[in-house]
This record gives sequence, structure tokens and C-alpha cells, in this order.
Amino acid sequence: MDVFEAVKGRRSIRRYKTDAVPKELVEKMLDAAHWAPSGGNIQPWKFIVISDRDLLELVRKVSPGYLGEAPLAILVCSDREKEYRIGGALGRDYLSIADCAMAVENMLLVAYALGLGTCVVKSFSRIAIKEMLEIPDDIEPELLVIVGYPAQTPKPPARTPLRKITSFNKYDQEFLTSLEE
Amino acid sequence: MAVKKLTGNDYLFEIAVFLATSARGCIDEPPLYGPFRLLDALSKLTDLPEYAIGLNPDPFLKEIKAIVDEKKFLVMYDVDGFQRAIDEIVEKFAKELKKRYLETK
Repeated sequence: MDVFEAVKGRRSIRRYKTDAVPKELVEKMLDAAHWAPSGGNIQPWKFIVISDRDLLELVRKVSPGYLGEAPLAILVCSDREKEYRIGGALGRDYLSIADCAMAVENMLLVAYALGLGTCVVKSFSRIAIKEMLEIPDDIEPELLVIVGYPAQTPKPPARTPLRKITSFNKYDQEFLTSLEE
Repeated sequence: MAVKKLTGNDYLFEIAVFLATSARGCIDEPPLYGPFRLLDALSKLTDLPEYAIGLNPDPFLKEIKAIVDEKKFLVMYDVDGFQRAIDEIVEKFAKELKKRYLETK
């Protein structure tokens, strides 16, 4: 699949089929994630694949943003201690989040190309998630990626026109685009 | 862990967990997630008769649940539409209140 097709076709999916997600597809998603760029090449991410039905249900219960019943979720965490050791306060406080977000985007695009639906959730209780998944103190849960075969095809939400969010050379100097919007 | 059928108490506990985690989330999350969580809680509460002995399914609340579940995601891309949907739901409740508590007396 063309990259741009994946970028434009991906949607946040909130209704899933019950079919299990094959392990080899999960591995492809994770492979894409860990090839993401990261500040100072720190690669602060840690991934927890949650497929155990009961555990997933507990995670769902403490995650108000987890809508729908997907058969799998991947919790993307950052190693804040590693980030601080190598990247200092900037690494710990900003890059760790940005790096994980870039890894997640890779994951989402590959999932879409593989026919999977995803939804990124930040609305979860970090305290409860850490307790459920026995996550050590220096590892911070950043984003929960819900994964499954989509049972819906959401319409694309409106986008702010490119010309309204882009300047040419200096801020607020008009950016002319031939792209239809 | 084995999956067990939810009892009324289990389901009540589940809603309590949802409310507690939502309360914490609402401190940091976008302000509009507050009404979104309340609507989601409303939707979950309407399912309580399925699990709790002594409660009967309420057709009106079922209708409201269907509207909530259809419209709640407007919060993500159409704030005005989200607000209108809540207004419509409140209006339906007001009419139902009148019907239940005034017209029957």
C-alpha cells in the first residue's frame, strides 16, 4: 500500500470484530514502531502486548477512553530514567512523549496497511494500569493502542485547510497551494 | 482468571470504577471530555437492569442510550453538534419527566 494512502485512509476505530489478531501482524506493527525516529536515537519505548482476554477486560475497565471491545491492545511506555540519563530533562519531559508518539504513528499506518483498525487512547488511569500490568516505577505508560479488525468505516473528519495552518518563510505569510481542499 | 457472568453488583462496581477513573482523567483531559464521560456513564447505567435483579428495562432509557451511543462521538469532530445532541437528550428527559410525574396524576 502506498504510504499516502495509509496516511489518508487510517481512521480511529471504535467498533471491532471479535476475530483475533494474528501474532505475525502484531510483530509487523511492533517492527514498524521500533524503526521510528527518536531524539538522540535514545529509543525510549517499551511495548506491552495485551491479548489475555481477562487482563484486557481489566485494562478496559480502568480506561474510560477505551471504547469498543477489541481483542488486543498494545501499551506503549517510555523509559523515563533512560531518557533522563541520556537526554537530560528535555529527554525525560518532552522527547519521551514525542518519541513514543512517532513510534505509535508508524504502528497505526502499518496496521491500516495490514487491514487492521486501531485507536489511540490516552484516557486511562496510569496508576491502575501500572498496577494491573506490574509496570516498574521508572517506566511510564504513554499511549494505549487498541487493535482489531474494524467493524465500522468512519467518515473522514474535516481537516483545517492547509493554507490556514501553513506559512511561507515567515509566520502568517501566505502559503499558496494547488491542493484541492 | 475465568470470565464470569456479571451480577448486578459486578456491574455496579464496573460503573464505579469507570466513574473514579473518569474523575481523575477529567482533571487533565480536554474539558469537553467531562460531558462525554457523563454521557458514557448514562449509557452504561441504562444497562443496569440487564444485570440487577428487581430492575426492569426502561424503554425510554433504552431509546436515550441509542441516541447517546450514536451521538457521543460528535465531541471529537463537531462540538456544536455534540452540544445540540445533549440539548435534544435533555429536552427528551424534560418531556418524559412531565409525562411520568404530571400527566399521570
